[in-house]
Amino acid sequence: MIIKMLNLKRTVCLTMLLVIAALAEAQQSKVSAAYAFFQQDQLDSARACIDAAVQHPETSADAQAWYLRGFIYKTIYNKQERSNKLSPSRLEALTSFKKSTTLDTAQGNVQECIKNVKYLATTLYNDAAASLDSIDYKIAIGNFEKFKEYYLLVDPTPANIQQKDIAFSLAMAALYTQIFESNKKGKAEFLKMAKDAYNRILAIDPNNIGANYNMGVLYYNQAVNLINQSDYDLDIVALSDIQDNSINLFKESLPFMEKAYELDPKRRETLLGLSGIYFSLNEFEKSNMYKQKLEELEKQK
Amino acid sequence: MKKLLFILLLPLVLLTQSAATRLDQSEEAGARIKAIYIYNFTKYIEWPAEYKEGNFVIGVYGTSIPLLNELNKMAASKTVGSQKMEIRNMTSAAEAAQCHIVYILADNSSQLADVVSKIKGKSTLIVADKAGMAKLGAGINFSVVENKQKIELNRANIEKYKLKVASTLVEMAVQVK
Repeated sequence: MIIKMLNLKRTVCLTMLLVIAALAEAQQSKVSAAYAFFQQDQLDSARACIDAAVQHPETSADAQAWYLRGFIYKTIYNKQERSNKLSPSRLEALTSFKKSTTLDTAQGNVQECIKNVKYLATTLYNDAAASLDSIDYKIAIGNFEKFKEYYLLVDPTPANIQQKDIAFSLAMAALYTQIFESNKKGKAEFLKMAKDAYNRILAIDPNNIGANYNMGVLYYNQAVNLINQSDYDLDIVALSDIQDNSINLFKESLPFMEKAYELDPKRRETLLGLSGIYFSLNEFEKSNMYKQKLEELEKQK
Repeated sequence: MKKLLFILLLPLVLLTQSAATRLDQSEEAGARIKAIYIYNFTKYIEWPAEYKEGNFVIGVYGTSIPLLNELNKMAASKTVGSQKMEIRNMTSAAEAAQCHIVYILADNSSQLADVVSKIKGKSTLIVADKAGMAKLGAGINFSVVENKQKIELNRANIEKYKLKVASTLVEMAVQVK
């Protein structure tokens, strides 16, 4: 009786092993099928097979399967979604290549994965740059954030990604400024967004001339607008308040413009800016000093 | 699978910086403040009845293009009661006698005594733009206090021309005797 039971147990175990092996084989064959469909350019079928394969426990940790998935989605992106700046297949491809690098203990395809990540991340960056307008700017931000996330795999040097961050933030700040300038009352929030963008740059690089100068200009223009938008019949008491607010804004502008001057004393715009700020603060000697420097600079040309 | 890999590394698009810059507007903004002050003077100072007909004439003695532009813009959009405003760029002190307000710019401050001599018996408000002018004959003088454009007011130099000045304006000004 015991012997019979042991035989039965052995048979069940053997059967189970065979089933598991068959299933594993089935999953492996799904990877193979995905590859076959991919080679035949049947991308929908290739995607269905590879998605099923990477969701199954047997192949979910297979670096090769994720690598193939990356390829399939990258090809779908290239053939079907290239003009879509929010392409979901591009993100699936990036996720897959990244996953493959983490699973690929043998490092067989890591370099290939990174090359593909670099290519796809570059398209994200280019799409971010192409979306820098008043309509698509949120797409630009989303794509740039994704670019940064994946580009770290390609180049993990913090200084390099920071340089790209600064360049992008400068462009965003300039765009926010343009949007604000086009409709100061209706788009007032963009002024703060521009200042926030310059502050982000200055937190990374306090010596960034462009960010210092542009921040100075933002405060300066804000002060000038405050005065120039005042009606002539503004009451004398209200005029006093407007003057107080504008003086505060000119004073906010000053350290940024002075820093830009310190970084490049021969920049025409900065000299003009300092002369204008001091003029507006009724400090005419200082205003004239920068005006003279500007005139001397222009004589040298 | 490697043979299927085709990498095209697109060049990174250069993102350029730009900011709206209008740094040459400081003189315009300063002129705007003075124009607003001058329009307030027309509200807080009362001219005799015979000065309430015809155009309300503001003479500017000296040259400041931003100021003249601002005053002309003001004159085009505002009135003093029912009177239209007229801005004249004066070339001599003699023209002061035909003005309700004469604004002597800082560079022409030395002409103050001449202007005073030409408006005897008239109702003309003299506005100046240099320290000490309110003591020397101007009714109102622009002055800067802690970066802020303010006014000095010499009540006697206003009232001797039969002009009435409202207490609100007096309170907002630095008193000079």
